[in-house]
Amino acid sequence: MKAKRRVTTAKDVRVAARRTPTVRKVKPLLGSAPSPSASPAPTRARSVVARPIAAHDQPAPSVAVDLSVDLGRGLVLTNPILVASGTFGYGIEYGDVVEVDRLGAICCKGTTLKPRIGNVPPRVTETPGGMLNSIGLQNPGVDAVVDKYAKTWTGWRTSVIVNVAGESVGDYVEVVRRLDGVPGVAGIELNISCPNVGKGGLQFAIDADAAGSVTAAVRRATDLPLLVKLSPNVADVRPIAGAIADAGADVLTAVNTLSGIAVAPSRQKPLLGNIYGGLSGPAIKPVALRIVYEVAQIVDIPVVAIGGVTELADVLDYLAVGAVAVQVGTAIFADPTLPVRLVDELAEECRGRGLTSHRDLIGTALPRKPGAPSAKGVEYRP
Amino acid sequence: MTMRLVRTELVDSREILPGQWLQSFHAPALASGTRAGQFVHVRTGDLSGLVLRRPFSINTADPVSGTITIHFRTIGRGTEWFTSLRAGDAVDMLGPLGRPFEVDSRSRHLLLVAGGLGMAGVRYLADEAIRDGRQVTLLFGAASARDVYPSSLLPDEVEYVIATDDGSVGHRGFVTELVPEYEAWADQAFACGPAPMLAALARLAAGRRDRLGVARLGRRRGAGRTVALGSPAARRKAFLQVSMEQNMGCAVGACLGCVIMGVGGAPQRVCREGPVFAAEEVAWDSGW
Repeated sequence: MKAKRRVTTAKDVRVAARRTPTVRKVKPLLGSAPSPSASPAPTRARSVVARPIAAHDQPAPSVAVDLSVDLGRGLVLTNPILVASGTFGYGIEYGDVVEVDRLGAICCKGTTLKPRIGNVPPRVTETPGGMLNSIGLQNPGVDAVVDKYAKTWTGWRTSVIVNVAGESVGDYVEVVRRLDGVPGVAGIELNISCPNVGKGGLQFAIDADAAGSVTAAVRRATDLPLLVKLSPNVADVRPIAGAIADAGADVLTAVNTLSGIAVAPSRQKPLLGNIYGGLSGPAIKPVALRIVYEVAQIVDIPVVAIGGVTELADVLDYLAVGAVAVQVGTAIFADPTLPVRLVDELAEECRGRGLTSHRDLIGTALPRKPGAPSAKGVEYRP
Repeated sequence: MTMRLVRTELVDSREILPGQWLQSFHAPALASGTRAGQFVHVRTGDLSGLVLRRPFSINTADPVSGTITIHFRTIGRGTEWFTSLRAGDAVDMLGPLGRPFEVDSRSRHLLLVAGGLGMAGVRYLADEAIRDGRQVTLLFGAASARDVYPSSLLPDEVEYVIATDDGSVGHRGFVTELVPEYEAWADQAFACGPAPMLAALARLAAGRRDRLGVARLGRRRGAGRTVALGSPAARRKAFLQVSMEQNMGCAVGACLGCVIMGVGGAPQRVCREGPVFAAEEVAWDSGW
């Protein structure tokens, strides 16, 4: 079997036309190693001390299910379950509790050119069905990240996508230049939408021109697969998504956190030290679902969904509205073993439906004719 | 001992004070090999839309019966949920997490200082110290008599001294006002409680050496050698160690939610570098 399989969507032909030929080396995937869904225990160097609480006993597979996802430029994931930036550190923090090699990819903590100490605490608080965070992009800076973690990442079967943030186009470009060609770095996810940092972030994500120009500048600086993360804090995300796609992004990630605040128990001040935080978790799923639904219909590049994934049904919902993969974020805090379990459950779901790939589940809830005018006339948008 | 996910079972649940609960869980994997100062991150019921685990200090651990206890106040839906648990109910814990208190092997007299729920942070250390043949004085501060931790739940060997804000029992005033009386007696002090209390203790501890003219611990061996900030040795050599609290997300060091400011100007994760810090490792006046 050929190692690389692409995601088949209704727009496949056009996608193929856009893709740059692959020149980059790809990690050994299906060809050299048994597919994770087909083999219950791939050999690993890392010892697995902790058994997950709800260890999922994999039944002997009757049909081989191919969960691989091609995100372009040679970035082929073994499965469509990623872990979201900021919720999984640099991949090492959860230690043996999580089998990192079974994840589709790891999006690491947001990385900037210079070290950042982040925001004044409190930085997190729980809200109904979600949480607010205002970490403020605390990170040791791109050079320290490369020194400290890249070597570890090269030993993993899982791709590591470095999330990049900045306060200017120049910042983004410089960070990406320093990541370009570093072994262990499989891709870049641009955070142009972090709502926490007063100075950076938000301007790019809320303006189509700014979002397009930062994407274009980064695109010129690297051949690495480029994911760009959309902000939900806009009136209409479609022009922005379109500009980013036109500027050469390989993948859109939707969505980042929703801007929100909480009030301190004393009622005398806002709770978070930074006042504003980003809302994540199941509470934002309907919003993220709507944005994925809208974006998937207007761009020709893959969309990776993120927002409140806590069970298989959420994964299936996002696939149905056109996402090729999902990122799991906040739910990891409650259940660190969830992402790996979702991989197994998705394979099982496909098997149960007699599918050989999850690709048949993608886009099933999208309108039959993308872009066709609504039959109801003027669309009602609450 | 590395952290792991452990399926535990509730053994006993009691409201020991108004709104304060003591629960014991059968968790052999956590009952042995953990140390005083460490904590567990406990998952709540899924049905209520609570997305975060709740961190609790390991209040006591008994390797013989394979149980650990946690002590908490009901402050919201998460903690309320715990009180609804019945014996035999399964609870998912991640632990042991964080760094423990470090007692210098030459310390014979330990001063423990707890404010309110801070008792849960130092309670286990009393057991460890008595097991190791040390003398323990525990200073405890609460709002009034109705909030005072029952002495029956403490080992007999502990000298228990109480301060209440309203004077309804023990010293009238802050628990920190009791400390000067013991600072000469104590070889090391360990504290957990509200941030202002810990900051006050840190100020007291900073001047102690000069006031008392005490010899530095570790003078003979390794004199003049600097110890790395954040290392177990740094805590072991400190007179005062504090167990810090902060809103927490992942509890494994991934999300950077639970930071406090360290003296070097670098944020320190309570879940990973802490929760126990040497008092001089914390930038008390940073405004964080």
